[in-house]
Amino acid sequence: MKQSGTSIRLTGAVQDLATEVVSALRGGDHLRLAESLSVRDETGPPGDLALAAVRVLGPDVLLPAVLRIVPPDPDDLAVVRKAVDAFPPSADASPTSRWSHWAMRHTLLRLDPPLDDARTDGTEPGAGWLDGVPWQFLTHQLAVLAPLALPADDSALTRAARHRPVDVARGFVRAVRRRDWLQAAGAGRWLTLLDGVPDTLGLEGGLEFVAQMGGDDPRVALQVQAAQLLRAGAAR
Amino acid sequence: MTSTRLIHKVGVGAIEWLYAHRDGFRLEPDVDPEVGFLERFKPVGELALICKVLFREGVAGSHQSHLARELLDHAWQHTLAGGRMLVRGQRTEPISPIPFEVYLPFRELGYSQPELERAARLNHRLLGYAAFEMTPVRRLGLSAFQRRFGLPPQPPEAELVGRTWLGRTPEPWTVEGHIAYAITHTVFHLTDWGERPEGLPPPVADYLATWLPVWLDDWLDLQRWDLLGELLVVDACLPRPTLDERAWEGFAAAQRSDGAMPALRTMPRGEPEEVFDVIYHPTLVAAFASVMATSRALTQLAHAPA
Repeated sequence: MKQSGTSIRLTGAVQDLATEVVSALRGGDHLRLAESLSVRDETGPPGDLALAAVRVLGPDVLLPAVLRIVPPDPDDLAVVRKAVDAFPPSADASPTSRWSHWAMRHTLLRLDPPLDDARTDGTEPGAGWLDGVPWQFLTHQLAVLAPLALPADDSALTRAARHRPVDVARGFVRAVRRRDWLQAAGAGRWLTLLDGVPDTLGLEGGLEFVAQMGGDDPRVALQVQAAQLLRAGAAR
Repeated sequence: MTSTRLIHKVGVGAIEWLYAHRDGFRLEPDVDPEVGFLERFKPVGELALICKVLFREGVAGSHQSHLARELLDHAWQHTLAGGRMLVRGQRTEPISPIPFEVYLPFRELGYSQPELERAARLNHRLLGYAAFEMTPVRRLGLSAFQRRFGLPPQPPEAELVGRTWLGRTPEPWTVEGHIAYAITHTVFHLTDWGERPEGLPPPVADYLATWLPVWLDDWLDLQRWDLLGELLVVDACLPRPTLDERAWEGFAAAQRSDGAMPALRTMPRGEPEEVFDVIYHPTLVAAFASVMATSRALTQLAHAPA
């Protein structure tokens, strides 16, 4: 299937943004999201593509601030808020889409608590769609929602993952075997937060292997970098 | 839970195909020495090993057992010429372990060839035999066969487990096709081809219980039926077999109506002998997996609350 021109441009914008986030995670550079909004896309109004890219990457856009590598930048927060408002989940949105949207609002609240109760992150979506699902599907869905794999977060999704460390580890192995590096990196990021992951998995070497094999894709590099930071944080 | 009937039927079909194509088990006495006379012995030894499992587990029907016994007699009397071909193979390559490895399951089933036994005992005393270069899993198998023959295994199996890939319980995502066969054969040797599941050291059994589901999933989707069948045997050798429903249904669906099991994806084309050489092994493995899994399913049934 051929990608449309817009889809190709969006993929490129997401990868550029992921590259910036990786750079911020590694070196503490600021993202300057607001500047990217002024870039005019040839087909739409200024900033549309950049906003869509922010929505696709989700709360990971703010990961450098969440992990306190850089202080939250008010302009960046404003851009993320704009992306959240621009792409609300539709009535028939998938659970992963709902969770990702909720997580963006949740992250904004975490980094920029309001003076009053006017803004909330809304009701947390349920995790019932993961009850009793095969480990293959569980891992796939968690990997899609890898930006929610953060320390000290206690959502229904996190609890669902915590119940099944061996199954997520199996999914990691499956993703590596299939050379689905993005899924492997996302699953690996969840595994850094879970107790009960079998030692024989070799997670540390596995993450490096995923970075070596798939790290040319900045989205993969971002998840591996996040996983390694979470792992280092957990070890402290 | 996987239907025991489905599992059992795979083995019935496989033995029927093997019996109908028994002439495919053939040696080539006039083969080019560069190829080696012993190359064609392996299928005969594998046939004997699997038939032994079938008799031992006692879950085959009387017709299936009868066909297996006929197959064995055919292999011993006709293919091996009453064991004389094993002696000839031994004289062709005196230090090769292959004639001994092929002979052992026949001996356990009551066939005898004293001259080969004398050669096996002499080889066992030779440093050159102990030093014969082979992979750790093959060495493990040879030691297990020495024990079964009544000789002190050299070296003891306990010393060898840790040298195999499986014995070191490596990162499960580093497995690939050849490694997977080393894994299955390590399990076969440690359990005496499924007879003693307790022969698996507990860390190895735990490791397999954790990661085998991933490998089953993987090789099912790749339609590598030969390897999938061996992995289904491994499952049946674990303390708590899963009798993985998706894997068994895929495996059974790959089998042809005449009982033949393709090795990879679909049936190969070619001359009958060429086709036999490609699919005899997955079909034998299908019989092996079926007998082991049927036996374990019946054990589970016997222990289930009424």
